Amino acid sequence: MRSFISNFKERLRLPRLFFRKPSRAEQIHGGPPMEFERPIPPIQWRGITVVVVVIVIAASAAWELYVRSIGYGPTLNDGEDLWTLRRRSVTPESVVIIGDSRGWYDVDLDEMEKGLGKRPIQLAMGGGCGYPVLADLAKDETFHGTIICSVVPRLFFAPPGTPPMERGEKAVKRFHSQTPAQRASQYFAFPLEERVAFLKQEELTLADLLQRLPIPNRPGALVPPRLPPYFGTIDRERRARMIEECARPGSELAKRIQQIWIPLFTPPPPPSYIPREQFMAKIGEAIGGRFRDTAAAIEKIRARGGKIVFVRFPHSGGLKELEDRDTPREKTWDPLLKMTGAPGIYYSDFPDLSGFNCPEWSHLSAGDSVEFSKRLVPHLRAALKM
Amino acid sequence: MLFNSLTFIVFFVIVVMLYWSIASWPLRKNILVVASYIFYGAWNPPFAALLFSTTAMDFWLGRQIGKAKGSRAKRAWLVASVCMNLSMLGFFKYGNFLLQNFQWLVARVGIIYQPPHLDILLPVGISFYTFHSLSYTLDIYRGVLQPTRSLRDFILAVSFFPQLVAGPIVRAGDFLPQLVRPQPLRTGQFLWGLALMTLGLFEKIVLADTLLSGSADRVFGYAGPLVALDSWAGVIAFAGQIFFDFAGYSTCAIGAALTLGFHLKDNFRFPYAAIGFSDFWRRWHISLSTFLRDYLYIPLGGNQVRPFRAALNLVIVMFLGGLWHGAAWTFVVWGLLHGSYLVIERICRILFEDRSWANNLATRILAGVATYAAVSIAWVYFRASDFTIASRMLAGMFGQHAHGDAILSTREMLQVAFVTVGMISVHCSLRDSNIETAVARLPRWAVTAAWALMACAIILTQGASNAFIYFQF
Repeated sequence: MRSFISNFKERLRLPRLFFRKPSRAEQIHGGPPMEFERPIPPIQWRGITVVVVVIVIAASAAWELYVRSIGYGPTLNDGEDLWTLRRRSVTPESVVIIGDSRGWYDVDLDEMEKGLGKRPIQLAMGGGCGYPVLADLAKDETFHGTIICSVVPRLFFAPPGTPPMERGEKAVKRFHSQTPAQRASQYFAFPLEERVAFLKQEELTLADLLQRLPIPNRPGALVPPRLPPYFGTIDRERRARMIEECARPGSELAKRIQQIWIPLFTPPPPPSYIPREQFMAKIGEAIGGRFRDTAAAIEKIRARGGKIVFVRFPHSGGLKELEDRDTPREKTWDPLLKMTGAPGIYYSDFPDLSGFNCPEWSHLSAGDSVEFSKRLVPHLRAALKM
Repeated sequence: MLFNSLTFIVFFVIVVMLYWSIASWPLRKNILVVASYIFYGAWNPPFAALLFSTTAMDFWLGRQIGKAKGSRAKRAWLVASVCMNLSMLGFFKYGNFLLQNFQWLVARVGIIYQPPHLDILLPVGISFYTFHSLSYTLDIYRGVLQPTRSLRDFILAVSFFPQLVAGPIVRAGDFLPQLVRPQPLRTGQFLWGLALMTLGLFEKIVLADTLLSGSADRVFGYAGPLVALDSWAGVIAFAGQIFFDFAGYSTCAIGAALTLGFHLKDNFRFPYAAIGFSDFWRRWHISLSTFLRDYLYIPLGGNQVRPFRAALNLVIVMFLGGLWHGAAWTFVVWGLLHGSYLVIERICRILFEDRSWANNLATRILAGVATYAAVSIAWVYFRASDFTIASRMLAGMFGQHAHGDAILSTREMLQVAFVTVGMISVHCSLRDSNIETAVARLPRWAVTAAWALMACAIILTQGASNAFIYFQF
């Protein structure tokens, strides 16, 4: 009688996969060797290691001294893991700040705590769109707290697939998928980043240093604009503060950053592979979708008893001119408030919020952010009916 | 836990110190088992239970195969082991893929079926540890390995943390003998292990992530047509990126194992100096290619059958090899392309092997260039997330988008060019050698300078913890 396996094999016309005994030669040569030892290069490893350690320590110390001498100081890197740690501290009744870097630099947590009775949790992010975070809070059935949402129209209405949206989406994704190892790495990073100035991931890495090489590009190459250099510090609560060098009136650093904002805030030309009208229609559709999605998210939060207020933070100089021209208030801010029914605070509507100057055109200095926050609190209380 | 993370550095220092400070060999092995499960659980703790359960099952099945008297019973136990391992892999890795394809298939005959999207989280490294475990029962069945009596040793063979999640695929038969008696702490071996870890991290953090990945990501992520220069630069960047990413991981794994007294075999042997595709697969992901050769190609009949059948065997093996990399048809096409390359090479060998020009230097150089170009073209399907992107890339590479966009900066292209030329030069100069021989030949100051330079570059790059590409497999 034939075995079940043989019949099965025959019926399915299976090849001899796994059903053939290895040949004698295979048993000797085809199988894995039972003993294996890697060769070790016969050189003086002990001496070499000592010299390597000395060189690495000396080079790191020299690099640290150099970057400090040119104005860098120790600060945390604002990565997705740090953001996730703050996101984890959100409770159902928390006050949460979301949105872009203006809501990040211009809000002083101490002043807000004094004025609102609760210490806000800082979830705004540099170059980020607030919508993915808003949508995630709306999905969180337990959340019925207060949201302060900073709005820079070019960032808040950024279409899907663009860097501001991706920044927010990546952070939210990390919050939902952060592994214990990633969390631990963030805790191990705290003491290092708080003491070592050259550990600056968006400024002093090899990739950033290579980007600074003055190599001209081909004519017509669609190369993304540069990001601004280091101009702020953050702490474990993600409170961002502008450094003195940038806040000093007329500083070279502030001037350099001003010139970087202009190309960064200028809309890129429509892609060559889609007709212009079609592209503009797509963008219009994406912006319309953002209005609707935002309204829906807010509706969910309100239904649970939560509150939201939109805030337009100060900006100045050439950047204000550019924003006012490309993303005028009547096409962005006004319809946003109208469609969502949420209260809004546009800084220029209030004389006590209007007199601030942004040294690099986009953010307040650390000192001004404290004063601005103090003055913002009564407006927030009024808007939120607190 | 990623090798390029602070958590791993702390974990590794603690494990190494504990391991070497204890004299008892069984206790040291216990430490490694616990450490390996912490290493794995630090990604997603519940999946450590899955890893344990499949390991324990294979341990038991291995014993049953060993104990079985008749060949029929042995086969039955082997089939149980193969089915158990492949069904785990199939469910977690191919569940949604199979459902989607079933939906497409029934739609062809007019049946509208909307399958539920299974929210399956892929356990990291499942393809690797399944093969670690499977090699054990296969080798017992083949009669080349005796079942181990120690469950702890087998758990360690499957889950040993340096090679657990992204290879190399270490067969139980290679690892278990190393657990019989303790290795003494040898300074040279330990420090060479650290040097290899530095090299691996340098390949991953500096070369793959910093110098190449940006160009590859931008080119493959661009939604429009690209000119030929940018298309080729993106593909060549990816060819380098995937090598440094995966070879970097393997080198780290080999180094980490050495510091603990274990010896893992090479997983890469300068593959971009390959002359021909069979040579390429003897140099690229060696642990997978030998696994497929021994457990699939040879049982299918290998090349001891009629030429057509041998060619078909090659294609079948590469088809499954492609599918092993990911649940997508693009991976299958990548595998089939390599299968076709191997068949064409075999035909060429039959036709031209005896010709006088077949082995001269010019032919070898041309064959090497053609191998690199063909391998790079195949990478398009490996990297592209769908066929639209792959087609657009190939059209760009072959000059169909003369008026396409240029998106790479001159700096990015120079980075790709420098790294690629450097990589190919090193591969060509060491193609018949190995890294140990090369290091032994270098003057001491050059070894010191190279090691220090790599370490400084890693610190300067700050390794922003990009996951290794092969983690997803």
